[in-house]
Amino acid sequence: MDDSNERKFQKELNGGLVGLVLLAVLAESDEDLYGYEIAKRLANANEGTSIFKEGTIYPVLRAMSAGNLLTSRIVPSYSGPPRRYYRITEQGRSVLAEWKVIWASTRDFVDRFTETQPLRIGQSS
Amino acid sequence: MNRSAPRSIDQYLRQLREELAGADAALIQDALYDAEEYLRAEVAAHPDKSESDVLELIASTYGAPDEVAAAYRDTEVKVKAAMATPRKVPKSKLGAFFGVFLDPRAYTSLFFMLLCLATGIIYFVFAIVGLSMSAGLAVLIIGVPFFLMFVAVGRVVSLAEGRLIEAMTGVRMPRRPVYQGTALGFWARIGEMLRDRRTWTTIAYFVLMLPIGIIYFVIAVMGLCVSLAFIALPITVICAQAGWFGMGGVEVFSQAQPEWIFDSGFAIPILGVAGVLLLTSLMHLARGIGRLHALFAKSMLVARTAPAATTAAASGAALAAH
Repeated sequence: MDDSNERKFQKELNGGLVGLVLLAVLAESDEDLYGYEIAKRLANANEGTSIFKEGTIYPVLRAMSAGNLLTSRIVPSYSGPPRRYYRITEQGRSVLAEWKVIWASTRDFVDRFTETQPLRIGQSS
Repeated sequence: MNRSAPRSIDQYLRQLREELAGADAALIQDALYDAEEYLRAEVAAHPDKSESDVLELIASTYGAPDEVAAAYRDTEVKVKAAMATPRKVPKSKLGAFFGVFLDPRAYTSLFFMLLCLATGIIYFVFAIVGLSMSAGLAVLIIGVPFFLMFVAVGRVVSLAEGRLIEAMTGVRMPRRPVYQGTALGFWARIGEMLRDRRTWTTIAYFVLMLPIGIIYFVIAVMGLCVSLAFIALPITVICAQAGWFGMGGVEVFSQAQPEWIFDSGFAIPILGVAGVLLLTSLMHLARGIGRLHALFAKSMLVARTAPAATTAAASGAALAAH
């Protein structure tokens, strides 16, 4: 499998996961976070390299904000343009709870086939 | 991706802009804003490294310009699909004609046409007062700062107008202001602002909004009055003839109306049908005007190519590259 094939697979996987991870990060956080901060938290959680490109989280943040899953406020910054800080809404939390259930069942389902324990396939656990 | 990797924030933003060429101008403005926020924060977070060292690693963290551009395009398409309420599009021509009543955009556009008179007056007064006071104060020391403040406030107003237009017509407008960058000095930023074509088209837009608003308002009010009156005519005639209302024995339709309307049996239902057709046409017209106006606003209020975030050197390089 060449590199571009891997990248394509990873990209397709990430489609919905970015939103889930961003909601989870914001739900865990006590304070409001801005795009760069969220990106760095994701990278730090995975030894410095995020699974998805950090540039892809901004459009998702904005989309979720438009969908009322997040609220945001703008704070001026010394280093660059004013920053937009995001906070999860109640609606965002309930969506996150639903998505977590979906993710857990999807992960378990995929694990049944991909984990190297052939005996488990077909058995009820 | 056969170009050289960007070595400065300006180069990165320029490549991102090139990758997004052809995309919606509002999307480009938002994408550049996000990228600039990230890149400047990243550079600020590594004071020990030079800008080009930081940018060297950016493709593996933030993503190369082409990857980021693709993410914005994809997300935009997905969000648009998810946000748009699925609407049954009637197949037949007749259904397509009357289907406009099911389209919320037609109603909001009609409302926008009425609203344009109010916003048009406000924008016009803002622009004329700003310009004339700037000219009048030019002889005093506060003239120039006053004008600069006027232009800056105008940008905020134009962003708000964009949000209003997007809400009313559904056409994508910027969600972030243009960021000028801190790389430039105070005076250079002022220079960029005055050289920026958008500064002047924004003021022109504000001035034009008064006549445009009057035209929209007249079309909307005239269309509504005439078509609703026609629709109401058969209903009132039936009610009056049934004796459901009269004014103390005075016949409601005694004078003033041409005789033939009531003498012929056809005229009244025909006028009623004409009213329905007219109202439907008005809804189509409103939706069309809403879209056209959004395009007009986009061409006047949104930077066509570059927000002036780049330094003079970078814009020189961009000119040379073209």
